[in-house]
Amino acid sequence: MKKLLFLLFVFCMSFPGRYAHAEEIDFKEFDLSNGLHVIVHEDHSVPIVVVSLMYHVGSKNENPERTGFAHFFEHLMFEGTKHIKRFEYDKIVENAGGTLNANTSNDRTYYYEILPSNQLELGLWLESERMLHARVDSLGIATQKGVVIEEKKQNYDNRPYGSLLPEILRRAFTKHPYQWATIGDADHIRAAKDEEFKEFYDSFYVPNNAVLILAGDVKFNEAKKLTEKYFGDIPSSEGEIYRPEVVEEVKYEEIRDTVYDNIQLPAVIQAYHIPAMGTDDFYAVEMLSQLLASGQSSRLYKSLVDEQQLALEVAAIPLPFEDPGLVITLALPNVGLDCRDLENAMDQEIENVQNNLIPQKEFQKLKNQVENQIVTQNATLANRASTLAENYTYFKDANRINTDLDRYLAVTREDLQRVANDYFRKNNRVVLYYLPQSSRNESSNE
Amino acid sequence: MKRIVFSFILLLLTLCAGAQLDRSVRPKPGPAPEIQIGDYELFTLDNGLKVIVVENHKIPKVTYHLSLDIDPVMEGEQAGYVSMAGNLLRAGTTSRSKAEIDEAIDFIGASLNTRATGISGSVLKKFSDNFLEIMNDVLLHPSFPEEEVNKLKKQHISAIQASKSDASSIASNINSVVTFGATHPYGEVLSETSIEKITRDLCQTYYQTYFKPNTAYLIMVGDITLKEAKRQAEQYFGSWQKGDVPSHSYDEPALNTRPRVVIGNRDGAVQSVIMVSYPLVFKPGNPDAIKASVMNSVLGGGSLSSRLNANLREDKAFTYGAYSSLNADKLTGSFNASAEVKGAATDTAMQEVLYEMKHMKDETVDPEMIEQVKNRMAGSFARSLERPETIADFALNIEKYGLPQDYYATYLKKLSQVTPADIQEMARKYLKPENANIIAVGDARELSKIMVRFSKDGTVEEFDYYGNPVKKSEIPADITANNVINSYIKAIGGRENLLKVKDIRMISGTVMQGMNIEIGISRKAPNKICVETKMGDQVLTKQVFDGVKGKVKSPMGDQELTGNELESMRIEATLNPELNLDKLGITTELTGAGDVNGKKVWKVKMTMPSGTSSTDAYDQDTGLKVQSVTQQGQMTVTTTYSDYREVEGVLYPFKSVQSLGSQVVEIETKSIEINTGIDDSVFE
Repeated sequence: MKKLLFLLFVFCMSFPGRYAHAEEIDFKEFDLSNGLHVIVHEDHSVPIVVVSLMYHVGSKNENPERTGFAHFFEHLMFEGTKHIKRFEYDKIVENAGGTLNANTSNDRTYYYEILPSNQLELGLWLESERMLHARVDSLGIATQKGVVIEEKKQNYDNRPYGSLLPEILRRAFTKHPYQWATIGDADHIRAAKDEEFKEFYDSFYVPNNAVLILAGDVKFNEAKKLTEKYFGDIPSSEGEIYRPEVVEEVKYEEIRDTVYDNIQLPAVIQAYHIPAMGTDDFYAVEMLSQLLASGQSSRLYKSLVDEQQLALEVAAIPLPFEDPGLVITLALPNVGLDCRDLENAMDQEIENVQNNLIPQKEFQKLKNQVENQIVTQNATLANRASTLAENYTYFKDANRINTDLDRYLAVTREDLQRVANDYFRKNNRVVLYYLPQSSRNESSNE
Repeated sequence: MKRIVFSFILLLLTLCAGAQLDRSVRPKPGPAPEIQIGDYELFTLDNGLKVIVVENHKIPKVTYHLSLDIDPVMEGEQAGYVSMAGNLLRAGTTSRSKAEIDEAIDFIGASLNTRATGISGSVLKKFSDNFLEIMNDVLLHPSFPEEEVNKLKKQHISAIQASKSDASSIASNINSVVTFGATHPYGEVLSETSIEKITRDLCQTYYQTYFKPNTAYLIMVGDITLKEAKRQAEQYFGSWQKGDVPSHSYDEPALNTRPRVVIGNRDGAVQSVIMVSYPLVFKPGNPDAIKASVMNSVLGGGSLSSRLNANLREDKAFTYGAYSSLNADKLTGSFNASAEVKGAATDTAMQEVLYEMKHMKDETVDPEMIEQVKNRMAGSFARSLERPETIADFALNIEKYGLPQDYYATYLKKLSQVTPADIQEMARKYLKPENANIIAVGDARELSKIMVRFSKDGTVEEFDYYGNPVKKSEIPADITANNVINSYIKAIGGRENLLKVKDIRMISGTVMQGMNIEIGISRKAPNKICVETKMGDQVLTKQVFDGVKGKVKSPMGDQELTGNELESMRIEATLNPELNLDKLGITTELTGAGDVNGKKVWKVKMTMPSGTSSTDAYDQDTGLKVQSVTQQGQMTVTTTYSDYREVEGVLYPFKSVQSLGSQVVEIETKSIEINTGIDDSVFE
C-alpha cells in the first residue's frame, strides 16, 4: 500500500523541492550577450559543483497536435552530441566521479550534473554540447520514440493509477495546455517527423530560454570566464519564444466522472483549481494540504484512516504549476467501502476547515513542520541549485530562495479558512472515481 | 621586467580569446581539489560520556546521536531481545505514554529513533531543548510497557513468518550460520520460538546493563556551538549514572579449508539466490582498507561496469544485478558476493562468480578501469561530505577504532595512489574462493544435483530457514506420493466417511487492517462451491462455481471466469479432490522429506492440467496435510493448516495461516456443518 501511494506521489510531484532556507544563500547573477542567464552560488565547504541548466519549456509549450515533445527531449538529450558518441554522455560523467539526471514538468525541463569541482569545465562543455550540438537525428529519434512509448505503457497505461494525472488534467482544463500531461500522446510522438523535433530544438534549446546554475566549489570569476568560453558563442534564437497566454476561466460547475483502470482498489480523487505557484494563496493552499494529509496526525489521516477506518491511505498534493493549477486530494477506500461514503467523509473534513478556524496549537505544529521541512530540503547543493533555477525561471527572482519561508510563515489561520472557502469549493473541482476494470463489465451488462 | 611579463600575458590572453574554441576536445580536469574535512571537538563528562561536536551552521538544525560502544551480545535461546530492547526505549517512559512521545516529537517537527546500541534524532535548533528533554526521558526512564512488548513480539513473529518463503531471507540466515558459526553473535538467527521466549525483564536487564555513559559517545552535529553543546550535554546527560559494562570476546570464526557447498530450499522457486561468503580478519581503517575497497569495487561495486555485472548481467543476462562487498568490522569482517539468478542458470552463474574472483587474483586489472573506479569512489566520497552526519561518522570511527586523526583527510590521496599491482595484491590477500561457503537457495532437489560440482568430495549440505542442517532422510522405497496421499485420506477419516459428505458449510473469520472479515464457504458434491467474504452484513466478494460456470461477484460487478481461471476453479470446487486425482488430471510426485514448524513431513508436488502446481506437506506421523505452497505470478503463497477437529467422522483444519509476501493472514474456522442440504441456487 505504501508503495502504491508513493507511486501516486511520484506522478504528481515530478518536481524537486522548491523550498527556502532559513539562512541567507548568497549568489551572483549575470547575462551573456546571447541572453543566457547565469547564477553562481559559491559554497566551498565541499569540493563538488553542480552544473545545471533549466530550459523554460515544458509540456505547456507544445503544439496540441504534438504533445509529449518536451519530455521526449529530456530523453533525446542523453543520446549524445556532435562531439560525444552515442550513449557516452552518462559514462563521461560517471567516470569523472559525477552523477547526473534530468526531469521535465509542464513548465520547464531541467538537466544537472554533480561533479568533483575540478571537473567544472567538463560539466560546462557537456551542457554546451547539449545546447549547441545535440544529436537530433533520425537514429536517436527512432530509438527514443521506442523508449518513450514503452515508458508510457509501463508508467502510465499499465501501472495501477498511472493514468491518474492525465485523466484529471484533461477534465480540469479545457483551454489551457495543462490539459495534457508531460508524457503526452504516443500517437503524436509516433507521427512526428524528424524536422519537427529539429524545429522544437531550435526554438526552445537556446541560450535566451535558459538559466545556467553553477553551485558549490566554484569561484565567480572563473565561472564567468568559463561560461563565456563554452556558451558565449552559442547563437540566440530570433523572434518570440512560444509561451501560451491562455487563461482558464474560473469554474462554477463540478465535473464528475469514473475511470476504469486495471486496479484492485478503487480511489476517490478530487482536484480543485488553485492559483499559480508563488502567489500568496498558493502558500496557504500548501499549508492547508499539509494540515489535511501530511503525517499520521493530519486531519484526513486521523479521521478517515484511524478513527472511521474508511480509508487505507489519504493524500493532498498541490501541483506546483507556473500558471494556475490544481490541488489534488485523494483517498483509497478500505476494502468493500462505498466511494461515495468516503467522499462524503473527505468533504466533511474540508467543511470543517471552511467553517472553523483551526486551533492555535495545531497551527503552531503546522508551522513547525513546514519550517523543518523547508530547512531540511535546502540542505543540499543540488536542491539549492534547482530552487534557484525555478525561482529565476518562473519569477525572474532567484532570491525567493531566501524569502520563501517568510511567505509560508505569513500565512494566518484566517488565510487557511479563506482559501478553504475560496478554492475547495465543490463547484470548483473535478471528482474522479477510479474503479477496477471488472466493474465496467457490470455497468455495460445492465 | 614586470611589464614585459605583463604584456606577454596580455598577448597570450588576446590570442586565446581570438582563437576559435575547439569543441571536439574534452576538457581535462583541474588539479585534484583539496578536501577540507570539517573538524570536531571532543570532551568528556564526569560520568565518562564522550561528547563529539561537529559544528555546521549551514542550516538551523541539530542532529543528536547517542552511540554505545559495546561488544555484541550472544542472545542464545531468546535471540531477538537485544534489538527489541532498543525499540522499546521509545515505547513509553515512567511519565509519558508512547502516544505522548509521538505527539511531542511531531509537534516540533522532529524525529526520534531508538535501537539496541543508541538513540538518535534531529530537530530545528530552536526546539533542541524540547527535543533533548524527551531524549533524556527516553534514555533514563524507559518503562518497557508489557503491552508494547507483546505488540512488538507479535510484529516480529509475523515478520519471521512472512520471510520464511523469501529466498533472500533464507540465504541470509544460512549465510550467517555457516559464515560465523552458531557460537558467534553474528551467527544467531531469530525464530518464532526465540521471540516467544523474550520477556519484558530480559529487555529491561539489557538496558540496565549496557546503557551506561562510560561506554557511550554522544555526537552533536549541526547548528550548535561548543559552548551550547557543553551546556546541553551537562544538562541532559550529566546525571546519567555510570557503571560497569561487561565485555565479551569471541573466537575468530574459522575459514573453511576447502569450498563448502550449502543449499537451502524454497518450494516452487524459479529463481535462485547465490552467494559466495567467508569470514575475514578485516578491521575498520586497517592499512589495506582503501586498496581493498577499490579491488572490491572493480569486482562487484554497484556500477554496471563492475566485473560481476559485466559478466552476469550485461553479457549473460543471468541476473538483474550481481554485487560483492568487503565488510570491515571490529569483531569479524567478511566477504560476500551475491546475485539472484534464473534457476536453470544457478550453477553456471556461480561458476562465473568464482571465475571473476579467481581472475582478479590471476591477472592485473586494466589501469584505465582502475582510474574510472577511483574517480567514482572519489566523487561519491566528496558528495558524501555534504552531509554533516558524514563528518560525525568519521569522528566517531576515528575515536572508536583508534584511527589516525588524518585518516579521512588523507583518504583521497591514498585512493589516488592505488595501483594495478595493489589491486592484484589485495585480490590475492582477500579473495578466497577456495575457502568460501558456496550457497544457493532455490529448488533444493535441483540444486543438490547441480551444485555438487563445486564440492571437492561430493558433499552438498542442506540448511533450513533457521540455519539448521536438514537431515538427508533418504526416501524409503515403500513411500510414494500415492502412499502419502492415501495415508492422508485415512488420517482425516477414510474414503468411506469422506464420500458420505454431500455438502458442507464452513464459516471462518479473520482480521484484516483491523477489520473483522467473515468467510463463508459452501460446497456441494461433486464440484459446486460458493466462497463469500463479508464485513458485517456487507458482502465484499463472492465466488461461485456451479459445476460448469464460475463467477466472481463484487460490489463493483460480476466477472465471468474463463480459461485457466475457470479450470482452477473447477478443481478448487471439487469436493475431496484427493479421491479423484486421476480424473481431474492432477499428477503427483513425491519431492522429498522436510520440516514444517518442527514436524517432519513428506512433500508432494501436485501439478494441475494447466501446468500450475502446489507443493503440499504431509505430517509423517499423523498423515495430516500441514502446509501448501503455491505460486501466484511472482508471489509465493504459503498456507499452513493446524488444529484439526472431527466433524461427522472427518477431520478439518480449524486454523490456517496464509502468508503472501510480507502479509500474513490468520484464518480461524468457527463452524462446520455437514449435509444440511444446501440448495443449488447458492452456487449460481
